[in-house]
Amino acid sequence: MSTQLKHKEEELDAELSGHSAAARTITVAVAGNPNSGKSTLINAIAGTRLHVGNWAGVTVEKKEALFEFGGRKIRLVDLPGTYSLSPYSQEEIVARDYLVHERPDLIINVVDATNLERNLYLTVQIMELGIPVVMALNIYDEATEKGYRIDARAMEEMLGIAVVPTSATKKTGLDELLATALRVADAPKQRAPKKLNYGEDIEVACDYLAKSFRTSYPALIDNYPQRWLLLKLMEQDDHVMKELGLDNLDFLDQALHHLRRAHGEDIESIMADARYSLASGLTREVLHKPELRQTELTEKIDKLVLNRFLGIPIFMAAMWLLFKLTFDLSAPFGDWIGAMTEGPFKRWASAILTPLGAPDWTVSLVNDGIIAGVGSVLVFVPVIFAMMFFITFLEGSGYMARAAFVMDRTMHSIGLHGKSFIPMLLGFGCNVPGIYATRTLENPKDKVLTALLVPLMSCGARLPVYVLFVGIFFPSNSSTVIWSLYIMGILLAIGMGLIFKRTLFRGEAPMFIMELPPYRMPSLHSLCVHTWEKGKHFLFKAGTYIFAVSVLVWFLLNLPWGVEHKRDSYLGQAGAAIAPIFQPVGFGTWEAASSLITGVIAKEIVVGTMGEIYAPKKDEKKEVPTLQEDLKEVATSFGEACVKAVKTLLYLPQAEEQEEDRAGLKAAIGGSFTPLSAYAFMAFVLLYMPCVVAIAAMRQEFGTWKWAGVGLLYQTALAWGAALIIYQGGRLLGLGG
Amino acid sequence: MGVADVIIAGAIVAGACYILYATLWKKKGCCGCEGGSCCKK
Repeated sequence: MSTQLKHKEEELDAELSGHSAAARTITVAVAGNPNSGKSTLINAIAGTRLHVGNWAGVTVEKKEALFEFGGRKIRLVDLPGTYSLSPYSQEEIVARDYLVHERPDLIINVVDATNLERNLYLTVQIMELGIPVVMALNIYDEATEKGYRIDARAMEEMLGIAVVPTSATKKTGLDELLATALRVADAPKQRAPKKLNYGEDIEVACDYLAKSFRTSYPALIDNYPQRWLLLKLMEQDDHVMKELGLDNLDFLDQALHHLRRAHGEDIESIMADARYSLASGLTREVLHKPELRQTELTEKIDKLVLNRFLGIPIFMAAMWLLFKLTFDLSAPFGDWIGAMTEGPFKRWASAILTPLGAPDWTVSLVNDGIIAGVGSVLVFVPVIFAMMFFITFLEGSGYMARAAFVMDRTMHSIGLHGKSFIPMLLGFGCNVPGIYATRTLENPKDKVLTALLVPLMSCGARLPVYVLFVGIFFPSNSSTVIWSLYIMGILLAIGMGLIFKRTLFRGEAPMFIMELPPYRMPSLHSLCVHTWEKGKHFLFKAGTYIFAVSVLVWFLLNLPWGVEHKRDSYLGQAGAAIAPIFQPVGFGTWEAASSLITGVIAKEIVVGTMGEIYAPKKDEKKEVPTLQEDLKEVATSFGEACVKAVKTLLYLPQAEEQEEDRAGLKAAIGGSFTPLSAYAFMAFVLLYMPCVVAIAAMRQEFGTWKWAGVGLLYQTALAWGAALIIYQGGRLLGLGG
Repeated sequence: MGVADVIIAGAIVAGACYILYATLWKKKGCCGCEGGSCCKK
């Protein structure tokens, strides 16, 4: 029968079943293992139509898209990536609750073709729900390259579901996947997945339970997918039992009695075994792997990067290379933005405001407040985006999972496991998602301990401070100095973890299985999308609260009205009041103290505040260029920045040039700090209390101010102690004052 | 500084405080970098 004829027949079926197929929106849930290429597949299908939100009541990300395909409306709902539907993690609970209670029309199960057996474990569980399923046999191209042959037709027959080979990165098979999804959704009864047989013992117990349960609770069984509900009852799933208000069911004990005796194990293990056996058997039937004559590339690389002795040094070296590339490439663009904000932007603001009759103080507010404050932070946007790009590359290539694995041994020494290192790695981008990512940990103690350690990871917001200071004090060793701060954060996290584990969080670290995806070359599109997702937050911050704080800081630096010296302003007075605390650590000036006060809002505001405090006086005599000259300067200096970045990348020699960008700010800071006190200051900024957003995240995550308060206090004390050791220790060693 | 200046300055400060309140407190903290999702409750 031709595809067209088949399609028509199914449309007729749908109409007969009482609804117009074309009119309704089809809800498709997308489920799959982490690293199965699910996100890439959804991005490839939905593109810009993807709406990112949260699942109600939790901080697990929810992606949704509404679009048309083949004249039909499809609502795509991305479920969190999970290995099973057991209620162990927040992601699993969210995915399961959605499938059970919302009952989508169809589930697209994304399966990693290179990791078939493990992925089929989830497939087997999804099929228990009785909802029509279409399997996207993803990463099919890689499987083929490896010489795998997967008999999709045999799989379709055995499971009773449609199987479509896809490659999300190469965007192949996606139209066929959606077309198949529409066909299946239009004829749900004919396309219901097969009931899989879990073996005689389980099936007999299940039948007995079905009869007894239907007699005792007839209303309940109709509100849930029957087979799924019966299996969950057999597993004595706490989550389901609580939801149904069931406890001590006599007939359940009777149904399970034989199973327990026959297998000598707990029911949960028996069920897991049965599902794994099915997944394993199915894989044996459909997957044909070539004989391996030589070690595969992934295994070869893993032998090196997962080596017991080389693993950590390689991780450190990878981080160093990341910083080196980041700073070398982004510095020219940062300088360009700095020159623009200092020159043309301020001139244009004055040129617009003055003819409008704006009072002098408003011109100063815009130039010395907003442009100086926001501009000081915008300068570091290229650095942040470059760093996010390289971190995304390491994540996408599969190396970051290895880094977590390598750190597993170290993490165990502080009573955590390598999985806790993943939120910490996320913390390098921004501490806030790192704190939210602790939800993936099962043990509540691990969650709190990890969340307390995440803020010690140096987030992107600290970078502007480092870059500014190393540019002034350590220009020839900038990457190494910044790298040392990142390593300091990691080492102190390990140290604090040890202390916490022996005091507040006593107990054994649980075991877990960590997935190591094969190495892949991430696509440029995927790299750009994820870099933007990670980096856009900084642009958002610059446009909102850094802007607002810049305005407030300007007022605090200019009140009482007409104040002659910034030292006598409200902010100056507050800074001066707390400055003695910082005297022993080498930066007891009111300027440094004031910057640290405002930096509590967000760490990069330290730089913004310094930009305002040290804003140079206007040089009235200087000749003002015309608008045409300014525009020319914007274009030519950008071209020069591009050339400089390329030359740096290719290690070509560059002409020495006198740096004039933000020269006033750099000279002022250069006069207030020494290299030693500058390093102590950077260490303090790295470690002192988390920003208010991170504190709010902790409060939200753990429902109490207690842990946010613990984090705030211990980090500030740690920061002061570390800065003291660096500064006083350095002086004792004769490294300057 | 005249009355008009005081009013303008007051409005600007109030606006800045509102932005801070709306971005930091009202939404229980900003969403963070990963997808910017946690703001959207």
